[in-house]
Amino acid sequence: MRTHRNGFLGAILVVVLALLLTACGSGEETGTDNSTTTTSADAMAETTTTHAMMDGPTITIGSANFSESALVAEIYAQVLESAGFPVERTLNVGNREIYAAALEDGGLDLVPEYLGSALSYLGGTPTSDTAATAQALADAWKDAGIAVLDPAPAQDKNGVVVRQDTADELSLSKVSDLAGHDDLILGGPPECPERDFCQKGLEDVYGLSFAEFKPLDAGGPLTVAALEGDEIQVAILFTSDGVIAAKGFVLLEDDKGLQPAENVTPVIRQEIVDAYGDDLKSALNSVSAALTTSALSEMNRQVGIDGDDPEQVAADWISNNL
Amino acid sequence: MDFLGGVVSWFLSAENWSGPAGIPNRLWEHIQISAIATIAALLLALPPAMWLGHRRRGGFAAVSLVNLGRAIPSFAIMVLFVPISIRLGLGIGFWPSLLALFALALPPMFVNTYTAVRDVDPALVEAGRGMGMTEAGIMRSIEAPMASPVILAAIRVSAVQVVATAPLAALVAWGGLGRYIIDGFSVRDNVRVFAGALLVTLLSIGTDLLLGAVERRVVPPGLSPAAEVVPPAHG
Repeated sequence: MRTHRNGFLGAILVVVLALLLTACGSGEETGTDNSTTTTSADAMAETTTTHAMMDGPTITIGSANFSESALVAEIYAQVLESAGFPVERTLNVGNREIYAAALEDGGLDLVPEYLGSALSYLGGTPTSDTAATAQALADAWKDAGIAVLDPAPAQDKNGVVVRQDTADELSLSKVSDLAGHDDLILGGPPECPERDFCQKGLEDVYGLSFAEFKPLDAGGPLTVAALEGDEIQVAILFTSDGVIAAKGFVLLEDDKGLQPAENVTPVIRQEIVDAYGDDLKSALNSVSAALTTSALSEMNRQVGIDGDDPEQVAADWISNNL
Repeated sequence: MDFLGGVVSWFLSAENWSGPAGIPNRLWEHIQISAIATIAALLLALPPAMWLGHRRRGGFAAVSLVNLGRAIPSFAIMVLFVPISIRLGLGIGFWPSLLALFALALPPMFVNTYTAVRDVDPALVEAGRGMGMTEAGIMRSIEAPMASPVILAAIRVSAVQVVATAPLAALVAWGGLGRYIIDGFSVRDNVRVFAGALLVTLLSIGTDLLLGAVERRVVPPGLSPAAEVVPPAHG
């Protein structure tokens, strides 16, 4: 089967080559040896056809273990695939502690990152300034051989979310309005109590205190179900989460600027950038240029609430926006 | 060595021994949910299993049905029951976890009890009937003691499985020793993960030893494994 196919492919390539050579008017040079003809045709086809595989290392694309990260990773994967880069997907790897370590080890080559959280993970201090945070992240990751490409306008930050009835009853519109309501239960990812941009920051920066913290999931169905069912009254969800609008939850304004810039940004191993150069960078940067928070929320709604296939959602967005 | 040193200092740290996230409270939560699940399964499994074993029929269908419970992963039961539990006002962590552990504990107890009672020597049962024993009396005085080694072993196996599976409850916001594993994993604190796993292992072994001791006390001397090995003096 394999030889059969190769033979067929070879035949096509010979025809392509013949046409090219005729066009160039240099038929006499290579018409002598059939085997070398096929080889040079192979090389030519690879450089001229966009859908052929490029030579070079396979780009292993990973993501964090939540659907938005996997969706953006899928967009990267489809864009790179159609540009002819060899791509392998290892999505839903885990949380930052796990995928960032894999990126540094070389187990992963490319992941969609969130500027502020990544910088904070590396020990830096992110601000709400996107450019400054991106530069700081690039500096922090440089020595580990990781490059930070262009940040997208899309931001996904930790958002403090309450139900509409809680917001009405306690007249909440900003995070600082939660002060004094010590009887509320906070729910979010298990690592929240130990994170600056989660419970720790809410306590230190806003001076809030909660009756209890319930360890649930990272902006996932468990947290949403717990908030809906009044198991928790305050939830940590992602600002670009389609569920907030769909369920009529209220996203409280981060009035003290606790949350840093969290633009979605491709981070990639430098050796992959070196291997492929500007073509790779511009393919990924074109995704960033078009990706806005509203686009992300809409795709999140399609995947998370409408139950659409992430691959299809990614493909549709690419064909409409790139 | 650094890692082991970390584990030792984790166990020596005073803050890990007090408060809701301290070892005593987590251990208690773990024991609580495991014990309730095991005892509930015991109460629900034993009577019908003994009765079906006594009648020596209808068992195959029951065993097949009960074994379905084994085919559903515990975590799937937890996750599937979370929205239902919230709607019923039962909360998010405890009841879904309890249900999953209950479903895990029930099948081995049911199947083993049924089989053990069914396999009691029919001659003994007939002898009991010949002596004028009631059916309830036969079950109580012949079948239950004869089947007790297998039943107790099944309870022990179930309980150990439950204790070892209960850490999953931490995934749906319940406490227990699983919290150290899940929370430690989420911040990549391998020392905490290992300490939690170690505590779960120790509790599982402790459960096994404890119920083993109960087994030795409860099983009639003539039926204990030791009696099987040593031939009776009057051979």
